[in-house]
Amino acid sequence: MKKYLALASGLLLLTLAFIGWMDSRRPTPIALTPTLTGQPEYCLTCHSDLPEISTSHPVKTFGCVICHGGERLALDANLAHSSMRGGVNPSDLSVVEASCGGSNCHSGDQAAGRDHIQRVMTSVQSTYAGAIANIRYTFGAQPDLKAYFGIATVTDEQTKTGITSLQAFDPSHESSPSIQKFGVNCLTCHLHAQPREGEAYARQTGCAACHATSKHTLSTAIPYTQCNACHNRGNYNLRTMTFEERADHPTTRLHDYYQPIAQFTQCEYTLDCVDCHTRTEAMGDGDIHVNQKSIEYAQCKTCHGTPTKLPRTQTLTDPNDIASTLAMLNPVTNLKLGDTILVTEKGEPLWNTRVLADGTYALIGKATRQYFTFRPVMGSGCTQSGEDQSSAYCHECHAVER
Amino acid sequence: MRPSFFHHLHPPTIPAAQARWRYTLGAGGTAVFLMLVLGLTGILEAFYYSPNPQEAALSVQTITYLVPFGGLVRNLHYWSAQLLILVAGIHLLRVVFTAAYSRPRRFNYLLGLGLFILALLLDFTGYILRWDEGICYPLVTGTNLLKTIPLIGNFIYRIAIGGGEACTTALLRFYIWHIFGLTLLAVILSVWHAFRVRRDGGIAVPPPHLRTDTARISRNELVRREVLAILIVSILLILLASFFPAPIAPAMTGKPVMTENARAPWFFLWVQQMLKWGDPFAFGVLIPLILLAILALVPYIFPQPADSDIGRWFPKSNRVAQIVVIVITLTVIALTLLALVS
Amino acid sequence: MTQPSRRDFLKLLRDGFLWMSGALALGGLIRFLDFEPNPVPKTEFDLGPVEQFPLNSRTLFTDPPSIPIHTESGFSALSLVCTHLGCAVEQSADGFACPCHGSRFNVDGAVTHGPASKHLASLRIERTEENHLILHID
Repeated sequence: MKKYLALASGLLLLTLAFIGWMDSRRPTPIALTPTLTGQPEYCLTCHSDLPEISTSHPVKTFGCVICHGGERLALDANLAHSSMRGGVNPSDLSVVEASCGGSNCHSGDQAAGRDHIQRVMTSVQSTYAGAIANIRYTFGAQPDLKAYFGIATVTDEQTKTGITSLQAFDPSHESSPSIQKFGVNCLTCHLHAQPREGEAYARQTGCAACHATSKHTLSTAIPYTQCNACHNRGNYNLRTMTFEERADHPTTRLHDYYQPIAQFTQCEYTLDCVDCHTRTEAMGDGDIHVNQKSIEYAQCKTCHGTPTKLPRTQTLTDPNDIASTLAMLNPVTNLKLGDTILVTEKGEPLWNTRVLADGTYALIGKATRQYFTFRPVMGSGCTQSGEDQSSAYCHECHAVER
Repeated sequence: MRPSFFHHLHPPTIPAAQARWRYTLGAGGTAVFLMLVLGLTGILEAFYYSPNPQEAALSVQTITYLVPFGGLVRNLHYWSAQLLILVAGIHLLRVVFTAAYSRPRRFNYLLGLGLFILALLLDFTGYILRWDEGICYPLVTGTNLLKTIPLIGNFIYRIAIGGGEACTTALLRFYIWHIFGLTLLAVILSVWHAFRVRRDGGIAVPPPHLRTDTARISRNELVRREVLAILIVSILLILLASFFPAPIAPAMTGKPVMTENARAPWFFLWVQQMLKWGDPFAFGVLIPLILLAILALVPYIFPQPADSDIGRWFPKSNRVAQIVVIVITLTVIALTLLALVS
Repeated sequence: MTQPSRRDFLKLLRDGFLWMSGALALGGLIRFLDFEPNPVPKTEFDLGPVEQFPLNSRTLFTDPPSIPIHTESGFSALSLVCTHLGCAVEQSADGFACPCHGSRFNVDGAVTHGPASKHLASLRIERTEENHLILHID
């Protein structure tokens, strides 16, 4: 008996020592109390190696949980991650209001330039309304090209230029097999779509699709490769209603660039998409548009003007102008009050341009930070008539063949 | 050597038969030890637990992950509670199968059965105190069963959880029931139960003139055996607690969630299985109560065991009681297994 | 007589193991209790833009209890936490008075009447790039 008692006591001591040893191997919990929430969170215990997501969202202020959700006190990976919003992508449009929204953040009022979520939700990049209408019209499911359906239901009662609502498109209600196949194969890469399975596609919906320029980085310096992830992934085969992934392996910027149009001028592949296309074109203007054409309009003449007309310009006088804010968020150029910049036909600032003293223009690449100078068409040898000024006409002379 | 306080809790000598492992299985003593562990770890948890719907699950996470050895303490509490139900069940079966419940121990048998019920209720309330996404479904169904009782259902429901919707209001009630109401009752019944063991002549053995084995052991030997059992159970508990963490789920945010395919805690799975068959009052309240009543009446309605059979495994004289209890036990086990596989 | 010594040895071993186990458990218990579950209180407070504190002004704050002072030599602040047992002192005719045990201080924070024996603490004030004043109470 005494033998067993001594043995059992020894085993107990061993067990306790083992517990102590296990505990000593546990990582030290790293607490962070973000100033915005005031509630401690322990995510950094494992994730201290992540880069700061952006200068506008410092981790000391925001922490992790305010955007990502999750169990802030759990040190078990499974439990901690189980309640994260949108998995690895809290900006997925199904959860974006809770993650990125809020009146102090990105769903505030239009006047303060904080209505991004409402604009994105109703934009054609989310609804895909034009393509759905087109396909349904082509296969006889609707008599006209009006948009009735979007990827998800959206409404906009106070529309100025668009339509008031779109219903969620449900391919199972369609009788044409082609439309059904279209619904299954061709609706996976729009901002409001269910992301496709797999880590590679997880960040291709919501805000992250454009702004997550690399892992755990949010930026407004969006290189063309980011747009390419969706716009240059491949082509639809309208006969079989399948998506054919791109199979080539381009090595130059020219060949890597957006492919559905075959002709490029030099600036179209040297610059990045966002150098010319504005935030309104990419993220919508808050109205539900029936197709891409009614929101996308930047053309050669936006910056170059026409033989008879110079492009619109604006001299900055208001320190709260949206141009200054945009320049501050992506400081590729030192924009000052008194600087004159180009603006689009609708008056949106092209804040990375400058009107130079000699009447020519400069543009600084938002992603590349390259400095370019260019001239207006007016005063050049261009003889194109003032009526025919869409880019297709410019390509006739200025395109580089691939 | 003068006996210590701990030694003094025991009689100077007892019949050796009363302390044989193969007779007692050490179940009663182990149950007492587990209750002590539960009390100690429960007090430690109470240092950090917050019985407030917004903070409860977070405070459980704090205990589990952040407090040094908090996870160990919580897992020890969890495993002690699960083992207590198992050990108390074994203790109950041992008492029936060795005819130990007969006169003068009939009343103490009822006290023991009461303790068993209290252990189940404490386990259930403790399970609810996690207050995370995993508990809402069992809480709602469990407490709605009370409402199905004719006439007094709503009254009992109010007593138990304070009325309202269980998933938003029950926490404070369950907390107080768990740490105070039920615990106090369990302590009183335990002390009474142990006192009655001594008063009724120790663990059941035949009266002196019918004993075949006259050997006795000293309390020193008895205490040594107890300490050995404590050490073995402690090691087992610590190992269980280190390698098999207690369940936990994300904190409830906003509206309480009823997760689908949510399971009742394992010791109520048999009831949950029966609830699939029909009327909640009949299957969820009446049948369990009838089974409990049969168990309670074992010492009173079945043929009395012979005096010489007391303390012997499976004696002929109380065969009927054995068969009834075996049938009940196997039914409960079968229902539990059925619920597990479905 | 090997038997008794073997017994003694076993007893020694057992007691040794049990005492050491107890010591480990006690150590664990102390570590368990020595944990702060609540967020650490703030030590930095944004008092607002500099313009709110003109030259030669003394502004009373209740959270945290303090008086930021702007003089020719810059910004400083006086803590209004009594150095006796930590009550917040109140402004009086000739300085500050503690409502708890009657300590009194002059306008510069020096003790004029016990039981406090130490001056009111002076706190550090910092000016940010955005021209806000930050008060440090650590």
